[in-house]
Amino acid sequence: MTANQLPGPDELTERERKTVEALVFGLADDEFVLAERYTEWQVRAPTLESDLALSNIAQDELGHARLWYDLLEEFGYTESELLFERDPAEFTHAAFVELPFEEGDWADAVLRGYLYDTAEQLRLGALEDASYPRITDRIGKITEEESYHREHAQNWLERLCDDPEGRENVQAATDRLFPHALALFEPVDPDREAAIQELGLRSEPLADLREQWCAITVPFLDSLGVRAPVSEDGTLPELPDDHGRSSAHTGHWPALHEELTRTYRELDRTDTPTITSDPDHAQ
Amino acid sequence: MIIHYKRPDVMNVEEVTERAEPRAFSPQDDMPEEYRKAATRMIQFHANSEIMGAYLERPFIRQSPSLDRKLAFSAKVQDEIGHGQLLYRAAESLGIKTREEMLDELAAGDGKFLNCFHYPMTEWWETPMIAFFVDGAAMRRQATIKRTSWEPYAHAMDKICFEEGFHIKHGEDIMRELATGTRRERQLLQSAFEEWWPRILQFFGPTDDQSTHHDFADRVGLKTMSNDELRQAFLNAYLPKAEKYGLEIPDEPRIREEEGRYVVEEDDLDWEEFWEIASNEYAGSHEQIDSRAAAQDAVAWARKALDRPHGS
Repeated sequence: MTANQLPGPDELTERERKTVEALVFGLADDEFVLAERYTEWQVRAPTLESDLALSNIAQDELGHARLWYDLLEEFGYTESELLFERDPAEFTHAAFVELPFEEGDWADAVLRGYLYDTAEQLRLGALEDASYPRITDRIGKITEEESYHREHAQNWLERLCDDPEGRENVQAATDRLFPHALALFEPVDPDREAAIQELGLRSEPLADLREQWCAITVPFLDSLGVRAPVSEDGTLPELPDDHGRSSAHTGHWPALHEELTRTYRELDRTDTPTITSDPDHAQ
Repeated sequence: MIIHYKRPDVMNVEEVTERAEPRAFSPQDDMPEEYRKAATRMIQFHANSEIMGAYLERPFIRQSPSLDRKLAFSAKVQDEIGHGQLLYRAAESLGIKTREEMLDELAAGDGKFLNCFHYPMTEWWETPMIAFFVDGAAMRRQATIKRTSWEPYAHAMDKICFEEGFHIKHGEDIMRELATGTRRERQLLQSAFEEWWPRILQFFGPTDDQSTHHDFADRVGLKTMSNDELRQAFLNAYLPKAEKYGLEIPDEPRIREEEGRYVVEEDDLDWEEFWEIASNEYAGSHEQIDSRAAAQDAVAWARKALDRPHGS
């Protein structure tokens, strides 16, 4: 693997850099937007304990987003350009993470966490031997935290599905979210997808990861008495038109982006203050 | 559920008064009902305030103008919920009310909480008013509660004060950024300060002669400093800080210096509004309490599922 190692951020060729970007933007934007939605549960979760747990998870995801955005900053982007001044249409997350929560829909929150973190485990696993060390540096920390998230989500799903009303709510959330979750395995830039593997960044094609994801999530949901919208012969539901990535986002995203950039715009800010140390150097 | 039973060896109030000192009493002691009720009232108020403060600040997680600030705000709101959790536990240990009962009272509008958390806060430049001044004021009070006579309450305060220290630093950092920012940022900060300053002065409540619960709480060591003493300590520390950041102290309420002490002209403060707030009848009270109650109600189904015995 070391023979094909890519050099540091300043020595990459144009093609290599664009390929790394196509990979990392998707990872960063997914984490960032999911975290943004998660924080809506703060002071609103069912119990004080679940409030604390979900807050932890939201902060973990924000931390992961920061790790990935920092990597993009090594290519010369600033946080302002990446988050506050980027056209919302240019964001590359799956629309799955931008969908709003209906009031009180805790089933959505824990199911979304479960589907996302299972996907995350697989896609990070496929990056463990990535040829760009700045990526592999980050995998260990993130994987460890995501496995705690998955456990949290699974426990909640089991508890909710023990209750008839709870199971109904999980089923409704599954019907709505499952087709959107498939977009987690869509490429950020279809033209660069082949290069991501050629350059040794990701060890498996997205379609294989999606298959593995279905092989985990569908039986698990089934064990809870919840049916994923997959037909008997394994045919997956169609991707919604506005599924994000390289396609359009739902109307919920520009509205969310508008809210989260409000202070920045109202204060005419042109940069963002850094108040904590660089995680690459923090111990 | 709390089981009440007669205990023959319950301490009487005279004994409690005699033995009252920092961290003197714990659940192993048979405290008289009067003490347990007074302590419950005090700790429940404190716990409710943590929850409602968090509720007021939560929109600023989203509105934070940088990723780091967003992380810090999310962590702060989480800490406040954690403080609420600790304090409800300390209150429960008195055997008067369960946490569920206290949270239900809060949702029903019967739970009391700090005056400052009844006002709406909508703009980023208002956030230091809570995260620096109100938290700073709260810190003054909380530091004295480390010496309260109910040990579980004092114990909760050790962790809470430690974390509050970080919150105040964060609040001060936001304020410094605005105070050293553009002319417009400084103006927005000043106008927020003028709006919040009288409320902050009222944080410590009415002057001593009007405080109904103080006497008993003082005698049995629940409170260790009067409202007036606390406000003195706050003004001593925070007036210079406000000035350091270029904030002009409003002319009203008038504050005179007399023999090294600050005297606030009480008549310049709106006590009618304060009492309206204290009884949860202010317009903002309804807004904060009801919207939080609606959010809690919307997830009642999940709590119900959680209460169901696992595997049934």
